[in-house]
Amino acid sequence: MRKRRYQSGSEESSHGIDLAPMLDFVVNLLIFFIITAVFVKEAGLIVNRPTSFNTPENPNTKSIQVQILETGEIWVDNREVDARAVRANVERLSAVSPEAGVLIMADEAAPTGVLVEVVDQVHLGGIYNITFSTSQ
Amino acid sequence: MQSRRHSQEGEDTGIDLAPMLDFTINLLIFFIITTSFIKETGITVFKPEALTAENRASGNLLIAIRSNGEIWMDRRRIDLRDVRTQMERLHIERPDDTVVIIADRDSNAGAVAKVMDEVRLAGITEISIAADPAGG
Repeated sequence: MRKRRYQSGSEESSHGIDLAPMLDFVVNLLIFFIITAVFVKEAGLIVNRPTSFNTPENPNTKSIQVQILETGEIWVDNREVDARAVRANVERLSAVSPEAGVLIMADEAAPTGVLVEVVDQVHLGGIYNITFSTSQ
Repeated sequence: MQSRRHSQEGEDTGIDLAPMLDFTINLLIFFIITTSFIKETGITVFKPEALTAENRASGNLLIAIRSNGEIWMDRRRIDLRDVRTQMERLHIERPDDTVVIIADRDSNAGAVAKVMDEVRLAGITEISIAADPAGG
């Protein structure tokens, strides 16, 4: 009995260590992490860039070309199409050549909004292999 | 008498803090795990909308491009030539980072392409263009 009192050294011998300081510390950590937490989720579209200008792509797979002009006009298959009609056109062309990816040729000054719209439409058409290049 | 005996049991230590500590540590672990240290851009950008925009949990390096071509990263405006060095530094710190380019819907596609190239030169291949999943 005596030895035991010596070990614990206080009147708390029946209750183990005092958890209150640890709790203070943990709550402080918790507050820090709550304050610094940012729940930003950026949704995005994945597009590729051409890896090299010289590398010829696999000659067997011809890609479907979509052009975006400086003014935001969209040309598919040598015709000007509406942004909402890109999907139908791409679906038609991909039915002819199912393995083909889509190459978006945008003007340097073309608005990004149109670009994203075209990428979205091509995604809706079921093609996720999109390469994006720009031209002056 | 009954109630008095009940209160006598924990008379010398007050309430038991152990369950509260358990609970707090659980909260703490939750916040530590969900903290992803996203590099925010510091500006508001009008993002384009896309139906097929997908949430990627690991997209945590954000680069904003304003409609006038300014590039913002980590709450600072940076030059296009600095994008690569910044990205290389961050890529070394956490190699599994992915990049989301938040381009204004009126920004030039050429600016987006240049930033994508710089990021790719820094060795990060997973790049997506931000879009709001709204719009239907």
